[in-house]
Amino acid sequence: MNPVDLLGKIIEISHSNIELSSRITSILNIISRDMNAEEAIIYTFDKDRRLSCRYANQKSVLFKILNQYRCHVGEGVVGSVAQKRSPLFFTKRDIPPRFGCLFYPDLDGRIENYKLFAFLPLADDSYLYGVLALCAVSRDTLHDADKVFLSILSREVGGILRSYELILSSKKRISELATLTELGKMLTSNAEPRELLKNIALVIAKSLNATFVTIMLGYPFLKLDAQRFTYGIIEPSVQDHVEELEGAATRLLRAVSIKDCAPDEYEDSFKYTLFSAPIASKNRVLGTLTICAEKTGQSYALGEDGQYLISTIANYISSGLENTLLNTRLRDAVRELNDAQKRLIEQEKFRSLGEMTASIAHEIKNPLVIIGGFTKRLARQVDIDRTENKYIRIILNEVTRLESILNEVLNYVKETPLVAETCNINDYLDEILYLLTSDSSWEEIEISRSYNQGLSLVACDSQQLKQVLINIFINAHEAMHGRGTITIQTKQAAYENGSFVAISISDTGGGIDPAIIDNIFNPFFTTKERGTGLGLAISNKIIMNHKGHIDVENVAGKGVTFIIYLPVKNHTTKEELL
Amino acid sequence: MKNAKILVVDDEENIRLLFKEELEEEGFDVDLASNGLEALDKLKKGRFDLVVLDIKMPGMDGIQALNEIKNANKDQPVVLCSAYGEFKQDLSSWVSDGYVVKSADTRELKQTIKNILGL
Ligand SMILES: Nc1ncnc2c1ncn2[C@@H]1O[C@H](COP(=O)(O)OP(=O)(O)OP(=O)(O)O)[C@@H](O)[C@H]1O
Ligand SMILES: [Mg+2]
Ligand SMILES: [Mg+2]
Repeated sequence: MNPVDLLGKIIEISHSNIELSSRITSILNIISRDMNAEEAIIYTFDKDRRLSCRYANQKSVLFKILNQYRCHVGEGVVGSVAQKRSPLFFTKRDIPPRFGCLFYPDLDGRIENYKLFAFLPLADDSYLYGVLALCAVSRDTLHDADKVFLSILSREVGGILRSYELILSSKKRISELATLTELGKMLTSNAEPRELLKNIALVIAKSLNATFVTIMLGYPFLKLDAQRFTYGIIEPSVQDHVEELEGAATRLLRAVSIKDCAPDEYEDSFKYTLFSAPIASKNRVLGTLTICAEKTGQSYALGEDGQYLISTIANYISSGLENTLLNTRLRDAVRELNDAQKRLIEQEKFRSLGEMTASIAHEIKNPLVIIGGFTKRLARQVDIDRTENKYIRIILNEVTRLESILNEVLNYVKETPLVAETCNINDYLDEILYLLTSDSSWEEIEISRSYNQGLSLVACDSQQLKQVLINIFINAHEAMHGRGTITIQTKQAAYENGSFVAISISDTGGGIDPAIIDNIFNPFFTTKERGTGLGLAISNKIIMNHKGHIDVENVAGKGVTFIIYLPVKNHTTKEELL
Repeated sequence: MKNAKILVVDDEENIRLLFKEELEEEGFDVDLASNGLEALDKLKKGRFDLVVLDIKMPGMDGIQALNEIKNANKDQPVVLCSAYGEFKQDLSSWVSDGYVVKSADTRELKQTIKNILGL
């Protein structure tokens, strides 16, 4: 083949879609045949930047020997070609004795057969990709034209290697970007922090093909009790190293690998490679991100790039966590504001309603006194047996009834001051339940209790609290028509504005129609034939006077849970969560 | 003994009438006033053994009138009589001699008056 056709053929192969190593092998086959060289071999760099024999023509016999060794740039003939980036040729006349045997002892005895050696750097203007070596048995000289041709050839092969490397690294970059995008989405979502951290571990593990990924939060962060979020399984033998690495990453405030911690063991005995990066924000270390991948052959699943990626992810996580924290705080603040506003409106509504009720009651009272007063006078003058007298009695009875209703309303409207005492809610609940359930109408109601035994004490007016609890118990009893289960739970509840004792009372009475649920705390709202509708209104007012609040969780068709929050005695307001 | 003189102060005509008839039946001499100013005027002109004072009245209300009456004569007995039950609790801060919640049943009012007059 003439050189132009040959080059054309090689270019055609190099641009084909065949898999890289077969492409290079075909090119080496052509070179070997056309240049009359029995061996056509390519050295490329491995992960550690050492040259190793990677490709050869099909008929090569030296490949099996050569590919067992690796050399540094500058070492031996191949290394020095790589270092100087200029070709070396040896013809029959200048081949040194025992050529190559220093590095490749197995070559001893074989090398004498070869009469010609050519070593060419595979490089473009800026970068070196490897070295092409030719060995010939049947020819012993190279013409200048051959040398020029070989240098063109080596550029072409260098090009193939280069584009391959570019494709590999861009593929990697794309998958990294995909990972980061996914993480970014996750971190800006409103997911609950615990879920978020679990998902992050999972995404990282999948995208980096890691054995496990573990996120350790060393900071009392986001009120999370579990501190470690792991995807995958940490083998006990690795556990110590994980902790050691986490410590180092926290201390040094940078990404570290197992190399930094156990350099001696690293080479051989380790099946794994480990990286740990600090999750830090404003120089405050919140935790660490640690990734473990299996070693594959001589290369490592996570190279320098991996380490960089992990640091990037750790940065993402820290800003994401900050965001989540801010979000949580913001949400709490907004919720509190809403609550406060609602309560204010409620109080306002209540006050104006109270004032109105009071004045109406007062206006009614005077005419009532007049009617009743004169009727009484009339009664004294009428004969006992007359039917008129019977009517007069009826009028008087009704007046008395109206008067007592008015007195009740007026009493309800006025503020009753709190008589606060220290109170153990659990004992108190038991006391009230004992009183209530001793009545036979409670026989078919099952009471299920789950108390927090270490419940904090609260300061409350026990008489008023009793009224609240009885109201709620009786409502439950009425909703269940005397048959069902009441579940009572006590627990601690911490909010930003302090800690509370929560008393939750659930029934199985079918719940409240969502259409009316907003009204149940309104005075005089009732769905009962004989209700006054003051039960919950009064209860709500009493609990608000205690600086607490009542929550309702309604499952229409099932039942209602009323939760009473009472502030813990002497609670301290936590200004800051962190 | 000469009949005790009582001044009933209320803005409601029929209440005044009711109390007048009820108290006269008990043997009191009853005079009437329909607001605080009128009551002060009557007290300046004549002597009363006891004043029954409503609280909610237009013009000068009962609490104001009570203060004026007691300022002029701290020994003048006054019984407050109002539809507001809740004012009863604040009795100590006021200087009235008795407090009765207005009711169709006038027995409490009569009894309170008799107690104060020592009858
Ligand atoms: N546990 C409950 N299950 C279903 N509905 C309830 C429950 N508790 C309260 N309700 C609803 O809320 C309304 C208001 O309750 P609230 O206690 O204020 O008044 P009431 O029970 O109707 O009358 P009162 O308590 O004055 O006798 C009730 O009429 C009922 O419709
Ligand atoms: Mg009720
Ligand atoms: Mg009046």
